[in-house]
Amino acid sequence: MTFTGKVEGLHVTPRSFLPMRNMEKLQLIEGLGVEGDRHSINEAFHSDRPEEGRQITFFEAETLEALKRDHHIILKPEQHRRNVTTRGVPLNHLVGRRFRVGTCVVEATRLTTPCRHIEQITGLEIYEVLLHRAGLNAKIVKGGEIHLGDIIEPE
Amino acid sequence: MLKRIHRVTTVVSRIEQIDPRVKRFHLQDPGGWELPPFTAGAHIDIHLPSGLIRQYSLSGDPARDDTYTIAVQREEDGRGGSRELHDDVQVGDELLVSLPRNSFPIAADAAVTMVAGGIGITPFLSALPSLLASGRPFVLHYCAGSLDRASFVPMLQEMGLADRVRFHFSETGQRLDLARVIAGLDEDGHLYCCGPARMLEAIETQAGHLGERLHVEHFGIAAGVDPAYEVLLARSGQVVPVAPGQTMLQALRAADVHVPASCEGGVCLDCKCRWLEGTPIHRELTMPLDDRKEWITPCVSGSAGPRLTLDL
Repeated sequence: MTFTGKVEGLHVTPRSFLPMRNMEKLQLIEGLGVEGDRHSINEAFHSDRPEEGRQITFFEAETLEALKRDHHIILKPEQHRRNVTTRGVPLNHLVGRRFRVGTCVVEATRLTTPCRHIEQITGLEIYEVLLHRAGLNAKIVKGGEIHLGDIIEPE
Repeated sequence: MLKRIHRVTTVVSRIEQIDPRVKRFHLQDPGGWELPPFTAGAHIDIHLPSGLIRQYSLSGDPARDDTYTIAVQREEDGRGGSRELHDDVQVGDELLVSLPRNSFPIAADAAVTMVAGGIGITPFLSALPSLLASGRPFVLHYCAGSLDRASFVPMLQEMGLADRVRFHFSETGQRLDLARVIAGLDEDGHLYCCGPARMLEAIETQAGHLGERLHVEHFGIAAGVDPAYEVLLARSGQVVPVAPGQTMLQALRAADVHVPASCEGGVCLDCKCRWLEGTPIHRELTMPLDDRKEWITPCVSGSAGPRLTLDL
């Protein structure tokens, strides 16, 4: 599989329910998660069900555009509650594969399933329209710093 | 057992003694992060250290994204939530709270008339900054038994509201002329009321014709005592007896039937269940009448007949 995409947004929050902040860069810690993000410090809504494969999460910018185009739902990049907003990356086809984000490498573990939690937080009825396109979970194989605009491509 | 990660974690950053009976608590994220946003009129559930859960209106400016502010009047004869907040909660304490919910939103594009009774002023405090900034027409009637029982008069006087706030103290014969307020509403103006039950009953009686332009926010608890009856759980076939003086929710819990519940006062509707047969006695304060045809809140509601069937 070949593709060349890029990092369009970076987002982090230290605790469940809190708004995500847009960042210029994120520090990825190999085998653990995103520095300062709730998943890396067991402060996430789902942290009572730990999962090695949920160290970093991705979401397609194209899905945000589809929600607006097809459902008139305005969901901002910092509202999808994943760490990285991607463009030009076929996230749903990457389960089980490794790919590079800038100088880092991640291994996709499973598709993210939407949960009603995001409706509570955003006040938007988006659960059903996010089915099958709620993003991707991954492990961090090679850590480092990632930045806005970094290239995303297969390893 | 409630898990921290399933609620918003806050710490008490400041406590203000407004007057002998009212304290304001300012809650912030432990790391100074922004809190989930809210809109004017919203409330949160506070999970007290004792396990009690109580609802309080957010009375701060929604534009301030790092603080939730609640005003709590100490109720000596209440159910214990306000006493615990007043007596036991200190600056630095951690309090888990719910996401803000808003069952009392202020219309965005109409003239607004607000009537507050006593501590019922709190939801309006969150609305005033944006009303002032928007330049929309509004008036706030603040009613209390006397000046010293109207805790927020100084704050309102400092806000530059001029004649858009009117004070009504029954002790000095300045009672609110409700009929005049209603008659003076614009054709498309909305009337908002928050205060004690007796005030709200009067307003609902006199202003019921306003329909969707009338908004009331209840606080306190709904209450009632029914004779014994039984609840049939349609899915399991289990029959749960409810004793006189016991709530349906208590009876369900005693029978190990788990129903999520929060305020236990007929306000938050967290415990609502679908009812299938029987004659329910509805005592919820906030459920739309149409919804009562399908739902019931076991925390306060009862049964007029010997058996009520729930979809559990």
